[in-house]
Amino acid sequence: MKVTAKMFFFICLFLVVMVAVYWWTSHDPTGTAALVMATGLSGMIAYYLYFTSRRIGPGPDDRDDAEPHEGSGEQGFFSPTSYWPLVLCLSLATAFLGIAVGFWLVYFAAPFALFGVYGFVFEYYRGENKHY
Amino acid sequence: MAAVATATATQAAPAHRVPNRPNLVSVGTIIWLASELMFFAALFAIYFTLRSVSGDAFFKANADNLDVTLSTINTIILVSSSFPCQFGVFAAERHQVKRTGSILNVRRYGMREWYILAFILGAVFISLQVFEYSSLVKDGHPISENQWTSAFYLATGFHGLHVTGGLFAFLMVLMRTYKAKRFTHDQEISAIVVSYYWHFVDVVWIGLFFVIYVLK
Repeated sequence: MKVTAKMFFFICLFLVVMVAVYWWTSHDPTGTAALVMATGLSGMIAYYLYFTSRRIGPGPDDRDDAEPHEGSGEQGFFSPTSYWPLVLCLSLATAFLGIAVGFWLVYFAAPFALFGVYGFVFEYYRGENKHY
Repeated sequence: MAAVATATATQAAPAHRVPNRPNLVSVGTIIWLASELMFFAALFAIYFTLRSVSGDAFFKANADNLDVTLSTINTIILVSSSFPCQFGVFAAERHQVKRTGSILNVRRYGMREWYILAFILGAVFISLQVFEYSSLVKDGHPISENQWTSAFYLATGFHGLHVTGGLFAFLMVLMRTYKAKRFTHDQEISAIVVSYYWHFVDVVWIGLFFVIYVLK
């Protein structure tokens, strides 16, 4: 964790230098804005990783003598099968198509999108899959 | 029959020591928020490009149509909504889902009360933003008027959509706490990642407010 945080912190430092160089050589506000935000991107991830690594302690990636198998084990909870992302994606695709070709499609797709979000969020909170 | 052990004496021990690693939901949320930051970078880039093409004086003249007092109040409302959100996280981390005292006793609030408070403040922010839009349109500044209105409505509008999405997320987290029998680790994580999102949207608004309303 700590080593990952350091990597993102170095990217952040690099971008800080780049922002200064870019602005000084081009005076282009658009690219500078994008670079400043990219600095924020890497800084945000670095801060999160640093903050979390202090909370949970050193992991295998922080030790020189760690073996690859030490990183194995349970990664998290992943739904084995779910149709809800499909419902959500199809309805959102229809909604965005509606913005392009005819706005009435958005009104048609919005209830399906809400239904999809509800199903996705509460899949393991109701019915036969309920396990909380 | 001789007394023999018919069941294995120990539970199946984990083959490996469980390593210290962060919850993948929160890692994923942070990475996604980083990409969201680049989405807003594009909106800032639109604003600065149009500004450098059409001139500072033109942008200043258009920005003078804005009601800065209203949006300052609105900014304070949005920023202050981050505090109940964070207190909600603290309550979630000590697994206190609901208040243990009276509704006036803020110190005893649980996650639900804090999140409902943050939701109300966010909803007030959106209502005031809609009011701001409607008065701008009434004064004859729709999105199609010129470069400045395009940049203004796109940037603040996409931010407003994000806040609206955050309000839905608050509702989902609250509904989860009501649907499950007890407050689980899973709900704690979803409450925490929604707070990450909310703080992020809040910080983006401070940037937008500074660029559009203060710098002009």
